[in-house]
Amino acid sequence: MSMLSPKSILRKQPSQSHNRQSFWTFAWRTIARKPGRLIGFFIILLYIFIGVFGPYMYPAQLPINPNAIYAPISWQYPLGADFEGTSNLALVITGARYVLFAAAMGAVFTVVFGTVLGLCAGYFIGWTDSVIMRITDFILTIPTFPLLVVLSTVWNFGQPIAMGFVLGITGWGGLARAVRSQTMSLRERGFIEAARGLGISPLNILFREILPNVGSYIAMNLLLSVTGSIYAEVGLFFLGVVPFQVNNWGVMLNLAVFSAGAMSSPQALPYLLSPMLAILILTLGIVLFLDALDEMFNPRLRGV
Amino acid sequence: MRVRGLNVVYATSQGDLPAVRDVDLDIEAEKITGIIGESGSGKSTLVMALLNSVGKPGKIVSGSVLVPGVGDMLAIDRERQRKARGKELGLVFQAAQNSLNPLRRIGHQVLDLGRSHDVRDLRDLLRRARDLLTRLGMDADRVLTSYQHELSGGMRQRVGIMFALILDAKIVILDEATTALDMLSQASVLEIVRNLHKERGLTTILVTHDMGVVADMADRVVVMYGGEIVEEGPSELVLSQPAHPYTQGLVQAIPRISGDIDRAVPLQGLPADLKTYLEPGCPFYLRCPVAMPKCQTNRPKNVAVSADRKVACFKVTDHD
Amino acid sequence: MTIVMVRFAKRLVAGVIMILVVASFTFLLVRLMPGNPVQAKYSQLLLNGLTPTQAMDEVRVMYGFIPHQPLWLQYLHYLSQILHLNLGQSISYEGTPVMRIILGAAPWTIILVLTGTIASFFVGVLAGVIAAVRRNSVTGNIITITGSVLHGIPLFVMALFLAYIFTTIWTFLPFGAPYNAELTPGFNGPFIASLAKHALLPVITYALSSYGGWLLTMKSSVISVLGDDFILASEVRGLKTSTRIGYIAHNAILPLFTILALSIGFMFGGSLFIEDIFDYPGLGNLLVNAINSRDYPLMSGAFLLITVAVIVSNIITDFLYSVVDPRIRR
Repeated sequence: MSMLSPKSILRKQPSQSHNRQSFWTFAWRTIARKPGRLIGFFIILLYIFIGVFGPYMYPAQLPINPNAIYAPISWQYPLGADFEGTSNLALVITGARYVLFAAAMGAVFTVVFGTVLGLCAGYFIGWTDSVIMRITDFILTIPTFPLLVVLSTVWNFGQPIAMGFVLGITGWGGLARAVRSQTMSLRERGFIEAARGLGISPLNILFREILPNVGSYIAMNLLLSVTGSIYAEVGLFFLGVVPFQVNNWGVMLNLAVFSAGAMSSPQALPYLLSPMLAILILTLGIVLFLDALDEMFNPRLRGV
Repeated sequence: MRVRGLNVVYATSQGDLPAVRDVDLDIEAEKITGIIGESGSGKSTLVMALLNSVGKPGKIVSGSVLVPGVGDMLAIDRERQRKARGKELGLVFQAAQNSLNPLRRIGHQVLDLGRSHDVRDLRDLLRRARDLLTRLGMDADRVLTSYQHELSGGMRQRVGIMFALILDAKIVILDEATTALDMLSQASVLEIVRNLHKERGLTTILVTHDMGVVADMADRVVVMYGGEIVEEGPSELVLSQPAHPYTQGLVQAIPRISGDIDRAVPLQGLPADLKTYLEPGCPFYLRCPVAMPKCQTNRPKNVAVSADRKVACFKVTDHD
Repeated sequence: MTIVMVRFAKRLVAGVIMILVVASFTFLLVRLMPGNPVQAKYSQLLLNGLTPTQAMDEVRVMYGFIPHQPLWLQYLHYLSQILHLNLGQSISYEGTPVMRIILGAAPWTIILVLTGTIASFFVGVLAGVIAAVRRNSVTGNIITITGSVLHGIPLFVMALFLAYIFTTIWTFLPFGAPYNAELTPGFNGPFIASLAKHALLPVITYALSSYGGWLLTMKSSVISVLGDDFILASEVRGLKTSTRIGYIAHNAILPLFTILALSIGFMFGGSLFIEDIFDYPGLGNLLVNAINSRDYPLMSGAFLLITVAVIVSNIITDFLYSVVDPRIRR
């Protein structure tokens, strides 16, 4: 056995901890193993690309073409056109940035809140734990969407970061519970006591010993939060409770159903379907990719 | 009970791992046979194969397991196999702590067992369960109405023994049944097993890695390594005059209570793994202190060296 | 059994506290509103010629509290109103007590959500068992994949999709109302049949959106139980297949009960969409309309009742769970 330093003895066993280089190779190999995961991975990359560069591919004001209102699907309008004649594909691509950015923010906030609170509850236990758990139960019980809708009356969180913040504030419950229970189980397995016995400071323990072990939950939760955030924000715009500034998928759905009457006339259908398709493909991509994460972090699934 | 040509493999991503290789074994009736070996020697797989209950990814490739009054467990139809399990063959797990349904009371599980085996008088069955449990040193009424989580580990182990014997199985297998218990519980459980064995005229198989248990309890001993039987014979002889180098190593490694602890010599090398299993020669070759060139390429067969002893070692058999 | 009772009582108390917290939360919310609506209404009434006292009374009746008193007094007054089950009067419904409105809307939501939950639970659990047992076969994989796909489709997308299909392509299911407007409400056959027919789409939408979750969770639970030692022990002891299946099912279904509460909460949240799209006069629809018309008393009331419904179903699920799992009871 190699020299054991206090910092490393408590780390998890699998090969991913040997050095950063082998972790990424290992990650890539797991992803490349099944075609589904590769597809998912590339879909995600595609969306990130669209989110970042999409709006640059079109002029700031999308062209309106009165001759092309509800144009059917064609080469010029791959996804059809809306009530003003703008290409749906253009709308979807430019609308992606807001949605993805807000969703990413939402996921980040959710993960940060959930992890911090979960770690504190699991590490400090006792009084801190009880209080945090009460709050978590509360947040988990209150139906999230009605809460978001009610909050929208006091605060206009149309800005992506604000949107992300609100989504984070309402959605950290599940992750906090999972992180807390994982921390508790680490405590039971003696990780925490051993580290304290070696004189490592609490902050160090939290970040260098416990955090890597809950890393798997966090990574998977991050991706799931992104999907959850997308649904929540699109839903909010769809219901019309958050006024829209920038075009995004939720806005498209709202306009399609309530202004364009897509429910009753087939010609507005592409306008309705385009954002839905965008959402579904992204969800598909994330779900497929999650399979890789699942195997990476769950040793029981490897090799059987 | 007679085993012939048993082969069990585990399908892994790196190929088929032979967990039990060409095992021929005769279990003598009304005797206690001890099967000893390290983790990974194949002994647990062997006993599961005796009941044709090898779990995935394991698979029985060939062989026969002849059980008197039942037939070849590996060949008869499923329903007869199921009926034999529990009724003709009783098995006590290593993890008997978890061998009970956590959501049903013990008594109900006894009744389930009875109903599954078409026991007509269920009241009588419960009475026998009560007797067995009392015999095993527990408050029978309390245990039968309890759930598994209300019993201690040792109690659950004994309940496991009760389940193995309740249907009057004549062949009882204990797979590391006492490994998880503390020394005192282990001693008392083994004592009970010995008594029951005598009273009921059972054929008992004890699977363990603890030589002390074998020395204490077994009439015959079978030594396994790398999925094969390397030695078998009357336990007194095998343990006092071990023939196979592995057995010799095992015996030498036991520290005696009296005397110099340095006299106990541990076995060199590491236990068998995937690489050793696939090598053509003797599985013990890499760790054997008396290995010959022949041992690397040829596999020794388990042959008789006297009336009731068999050894699988070229060093031993070539001398004869 | 007493432990179950104690647990139940604890949950009840916690539930009541939560309801009070939510009520307080909405109280603060309305006060925090930009352009305090209470203040605005008061000023407007003054402008309309009412005396300050009259205006104050008017506002108190509408909003449940008096504008010019210190915050904590208003809060106490608000709480006492709540305890008397008085949630104020609706603005958009011109003076109708909020309580009456929300109680009228509640049954629609509750029936739809419950039916949807039960349907998706049973079908999803069954499918999950099959998917687990046949997980290496084509059938199992197909079931799993359809479950995953359905699980990934958000509720409102599902609703829009189904609504579209059944209004423009296959028009045999009615859409856009809870029942045929020409029929007289009551316990008569045609009315109930119409109710059921109109309810099909929203219930199917609810059911389809949570079916995937049940399937996947049950599948993983069954797989996990299949690997447990006592299942192997039951095989080794020669238990009948039917008995073993019973053992597996009972153990596998247990963790699902903890999700039941979450799922119902989620469905109530989704009612905002379903009722909006399918035009049902339920609590979700009420909440959205109240917000859009700035009817704050109604909004608070609807939100409160939705939360109460979720809390009650949580308590019931918890109770059910302790009945089913003996480990909790003792």
